[in-house]
Amino acid sequence: MSTSSPTPTPTSDRPADRAVRVALGAVGAAGAAYGLYLLLGQPLDRLVNTVLWAGGAVVAHDAVIAPVVLVLGVLAARRAPDWLRVPLVRLLVVLGPLTLVAVPVLGRFGARPDNPTLLDRPYWAAYLVIVLVAIALTTVDAVRRRHASAGASTPP
Amino acid sequence: MTERRLTGLAAALDERLPTPESFDSDLRGPRTAARVGVWLGLAFGVAFVTGVFSHVAQLRGADVPLPTGPAWLYLLTQGVHVAAGTAAVPLLLVKLWSVYPRLFERPPRPSRALVLHLLERLSIALLVGAAFFQLLTGLANSAQWYPWSFDFIASHYALAWVAVGALVLHVAVKLPVIRSALGEPVDGDPHTGAGAAPSSGPAGLTRRTLLRTTWLAAGVSVLATTAVGIPGLRRVAVLSVRSGEGPQGVPVNRSAVAAGVTESLSDPAWRLRVIGPAGTVELSLPELTAMTQHTADLPIACVEGWSAGGTWSGVPVRDVVALVGGSDTDDVVLRSLQERGAWRESRLPAEFARHPDSLLALTLSGEPLHPDHGYPCRLIAPARPGVTQTKWLREVEVLPA
Repeated sequence: MSTSSPTPTPTSDRPADRAVRVALGAVGAAGAAYGLYLLLGQPLDRLVNTVLWAGGAVVAHDAVIAPVVLVLGVLAARRAPDWLRVPLVRLLVVLGPLTLVAVPVLGRFGARPDNPTLLDRPYWAAYLVIVLVAIALTTVDAVRRRHASAGASTPP
Repeated sequence: MTERRLTGLAAALDERLPTPESFDSDLRGPRTAARVGVWLGLAFGVAFVTGVFSHVAQLRGADVPLPTGPAWLYLLTQGVHVAAGTAAVPLLLVKLWSVYPRLFERPPRPSRALVLHLLERLSIALLVGAAFFQLLTGLANSAQWYPWSFDFIASHYALAWVAVGALVLHVAVKLPVIRSALGEPVDGDPHTGAGAAPSSGPAGLTRRTLLRTTWLAAGVSVLATTAVGIPGLRRVAVLSVRSGEGPQGVPVNRSAVAAGVTESLSDPAWRLRVIGPAGTVELSLPELTAMTQHTADLPIACVEGWSAGGTWSGVPVRDVVALVGGSDTDDVVLRSLQERGAWRESRLPAEFARHPDSLLALTLSGEPLHPDHGYPCRLIAPARPGVTQTKWLREVEVLPA
């Protein structure tokens, strides 16, 4: 039986706090409304395309990225030995976002033959070096934890 | 669940979808969300302020007075803008991970609570949608990748207001939760902090470890991609969109080929037309070179977050303004040989036009400008966005104040 009210009631909501919250809320709503007004001032096809990209990003996260991370978490909890879990989580939290950030340069989608000064680094090599360094550090961390846990569980 | 009576598809969905209680990692929840949220909010706030500054600086004919110095001002604000957005990527992902179970919260039954619930959901949808949009489009734009059909500047600017407005609204709604979560110890029992380490997550993964890893992820992302503007860290920024190299030591945003000006800029009949209250003057390249030259070290700082310094020489804009009877309170419009493109024209406000370092540059590092840097003559002024430093000049018009 779950509780019927999922939102915990705030412990202290003094009148002064309430005033601050109402003021903040009004400022925020006004700012967002101004942004939507600016957006609605665009030609319809651009407006639709903007909404598609914003909505698409949310769907891509909620329906793809988050479930994948969830499954990885379950797998790590069930399959990975204790000493490997923290290193694996660290590896995922650092490399996952970095990989997403690197997509535009790894793909070199914006490269132009007339402008060699743009996207002019060996991105795949750099990315692989980062990944290898991260894996090496993770391995060192994991081995250390394994020794520590083996030492702790060995009877004196 | 006994009070709820759902039928048909709703019942089937309700049965199959997880509920917030299905997620068992106690590393999620307000204590994680609030701590990551503080930094995420800060990152978005910084990106918003620097972004609005950049937007105003790029507007043509803006009536907002802008500082003309220091010369590296725009370089700094835009570097910070891109760095804050990059740091926000891991912060946003961890923040959403920490609250993901709430996505499956069931709406309350029709009542006033349902309306509030739906309103809050709507504000969260706006916030998350706008936040993703800003990071995604900002990152792609910095690599000059435009896989969409909307106008980047218009949509990125509009959704900046949506993102920050919805963010402030979200903080207002959650303030009591945030406050109590920040008051609780990071790990262990929320009230006493007892039993911190081992029970906090899978095999010793504490909230503190997760948070520190998140800060590390933000730091690594920023260093690897945007540290190119920080002296000494250029080599570390192995994933930056530019190495900082280029003709005459300066990278190029838009080449002469891309601008379609290769033929007209090599035309020997090229003249710079200067229009002012006292009439129109046409200046050839030798005539410009014969005028008093001024040299200035100025950076080219692009909206994409990269920058490069150069030693530019040429005729101060104010000398040319005086030549056609203009005064130091007049704005100046500069027009390029480019026939198309959003930045073929820029308006230089009077406070920039009278600045001694604002130049109609003829040389870079002592050599005639490379075609991609705006040969025969370009504008270079301190503390201005790169796209407004009009290249391949054709015409300068003084607008009497």
